[in-house]
Amino acid sequence: MEGIVTGKVVYDHEGVFIHSSCGKMEDQDSLIPGILRVLEKDVEVIVDWRPLEETLDSSNILCAVQDSNSVVEWNQTPKERPITEHQNSYEAEWDMVNTVSFKKKYFSKGGVQNPVNNQSQWSFFFSLTELKSIKQNKEGMGWSYFVFCLKDDVILPALHFHHGGSELLLECLEKYVVLCESKQDSRTLLVDSQNRSLSQSFENLHEEPTDSLLQKFRRDPYAATMINFSKVTNFLVDTIRGTDPATHRRPPQEMADFLVDAIPDLKINQQEESGFEVITRIDVGTRPEVQRRDPVSTSEWESYMDSEGRFHNVHHLKTMIFKGGLCHAVRKEAWKFLLNYFPWNSTKEERSLLQKSKTDEYFRMKLQWKSVSEEQENRNSRLRDYRCLIEKDVNRTDRTNRFYEGDDNPGVVLLHDILMTYCMYDFDLGYVQGMSDLLSPILYVMENEADAFWCFVSYMDQMHENFEEQMQGMKMQLVQLSTLLRLLDSGFCSYLESKDSGYLYFCFRWLLIRFKREFSFHDIHQMWEELPPAVCEVLGLDYNAASLSYDTTEDCTVKKHYQTSPSQNSTVPVHPANGTRSNSNLKALPNSVHTPSSAC
Amino acid sequence: MAGKSSLLKVILLGDGGVGKSSLMNRYVTNKFDTQLFHTIGVEFLNKELEVDNHSVTMQIWDTAGQERFRSLRTPFYRGSDCCLLTFSVDDSQSFQNLNNWKKEFIYYADVKDPEHFPFVVLGNKVDISEHQVSTEEAEAWCRDNGNHPYFETSAKDSTNVSAAFEEAVRRVLAIEDRSDQLIHNDTVNLHRKPKASSSCC
Repeated sequence: MEGIVTGKVVYDHEGVFIHSSCGKMEDQDSLIPGILRVLEKDVEVIVDWRPLEETLDSSNILCAVQDSNSVVEWNQTPKERPITEHQNSYEAEWDMVNTVSFKKKYFSKGGVQNPVNNQSQWSFFFSLTELKSIKQNKEGMGWSYFVFCLKDDVILPALHFHHGGSELLLECLEKYVVLCESKQDSRTLLVDSQNRSLSQSFENLHEEPTDSLLQKFRRDPYAATMINFSKVTNFLVDTIRGTDPATHRRPPQEMADFLVDAIPDLKINQQEESGFEVITRIDVGTRPEVQRRDPVSTSEWESYMDSEGRFHNVHHLKTMIFKGGLCHAVRKEAWKFLLNYFPWNSTKEERSLLQKSKTDEYFRMKLQWKSVSEEQENRNSRLRDYRCLIEKDVNRTDRTNRFYEGDDNPGVVLLHDILMTYCMYDFDLGYVQGMSDLLSPILYVMENEADAFWCFVSYMDQMHENFEEQMQGMKMQLVQLSTLLRLLDSGFCSYLESKDSGYLYFCFRWLLIRFKREFSFHDIHQMWEELPPAVCEVLGLDYNAASLSYDTTEDCTVKKHYQTSPSQNSTVPVHPANGTRSNSNLKALPNSVHTPSSAC
Repeated sequence: MAGKSSLLKVILLGDGGVGKSSLMNRYVTNKFDTQLFHTIGVEFLNKELEVDNHSVTMQIWDTAGQERFRSLRTPFYRGSDCCLLTFSVDDSQSFQNLNNWKKEFIYYADVKDPEHFPFVVLGNKVDISEHQVSTEEAEAWCRDNGNHPYFETSAKDSTNVSAAFEEAVRRVLAIEDRSDQLIHNDTVNLHRKPKASSSCC
């Protein structure tokens, strides 16, 4: 069972009770006997209590609180579930409030109100890094009880040691954390968060020691900050996704201390809030002149290829692409690699075989929808709806571009056919608006139907979640973006919140179609080849952090716009694709910055 | 209300491709773009106008029509003053879907009194000669579904577009007037002396 914490048991005591009807008349039924354990698991120390009767299944625990607004995750396992799983239980609304509260875990009112006979609902465990304080009982009560308070101010139900064992527990915990009596309340033991043994994994976050980081910062504050910021970003993303138990759940105070030491201009909000709003501002100074290199030329591209056509030093090549983009002549071939259609280590021969079989496969799938008769289609409403919408949308995609303009343009027909074939390739996903925008530049570059299709397939693989029914990927990205924005420019973030726009809905289109409509067609080529996740991964950048570096320039534009024309008198926030990418000035203004509550 | 401009939130709903964005752009900017992109997400434009001596700022919300975008679209329904249900006269499916759009709106907008909520129905693209939905059919639907006003519009040649939006404003103002009156009639006159009554506490 997933919920059971495995690891080295360092404390194990039966007869630790929860009184489930606190404050009421106590009867026997309200005492839930359980086992308290402390376990070492990797770098973490877990405190775990579960009722004796608990069956080996924690799924009911999660289910029991699904409809409670205050709880996202009751039980945490060292192997973190991806956040998507528990979000799926949410309504199809964009309930960002819920999504943001991902970090909370605990006892909710909802749980307390549950009938006591379902005892497994009371089980909990937490990592010692999360422990803020322990409150003890008054002396002379006959038995001991402890109340654990976690760093996000979650208070767990009191554990009553009817069969002793409380002293042993404290002794055990003191091996890992320093406990000291609170000055205000002698019954409360505070966990000293400066504890070194627990901060080790935080340092794993940074590949280099603090000293060299500081040196770098002095030399080039902007770059050092951005590089380390990207790590913080990754850290936050990891935390959000909970992918890495080692970096997961660091005390915010530790993060704050470390970063203040490392980056002088950093301002930290000492007031701890739920979630991750610890660093309130990061001042990166003025944006330095970035030296862009020339686009990668055909000969340069080929120089990375051996005699059989395998690519070597791909990392370096990707860095070059990141810094200067590609010459248009190289794009047709290079995009097949960048979009993961062709493997980098394949030979020319392997690629031509692959291409041949993929082309066959494409036309086989194309034939499938082509051979559907009108009568058949009448009985297949989903296919009919897809076809209908695709027909409408390809006629409304890049029609000012020469490749797609005018009546009976073959480019438009190809867009249509590839999207229809994609429905056959992934019928569950089918066609979703936005796909035509993603396909259009690819088809333009490939000038080949089957190649464009397979590149599109790979591209869609990257962002499948964004288009699925619940649009989980989009929700996640907006939450992440908002976290990053708070870090980079909390003032602007607060401003947006004051205008009921804190959920950043206006970024929806930017993210869904990767800025396709915010830049000119030409600039989008460059942007997409420089910022595919594969490239960012190599460079240790987070995609969102990278795109946000565009956004920071944008912030000023947006702010200015709202300050100078607060009335928005018939302002037409159209989306002019602007000229050069090097300015990276997103000129498009959000034209939907209001959230539901803004209704007035 | 005199001299003061009130903000009305109007939302355009209907299937993809019926011309919601084109209607909005025609009304606000008086332009028609045959090469317009389909809407992704939600957008809005403001338009100031004067109707029956009321100056009003109409905030027109334009939504993406595809089912998949429902979760993005629906949070914006709340607080709407009027809903423009839009179909295309050359697309009978879009007409049949009006029911669903109305239901979706009422459900998510959390309308207190759906019976009296102002809907205006727009049959767009009347410039196209082949109609799949007749005027009678559309009028019958409007009659049977709460006596909604019906406008046959063309964003392309500007037919009836202003008329439809202005009717939306009138409907909202009419309802506000009525509720103003209600409030007025229900007012308890605090200055009137209550009848002497013996109190028991």
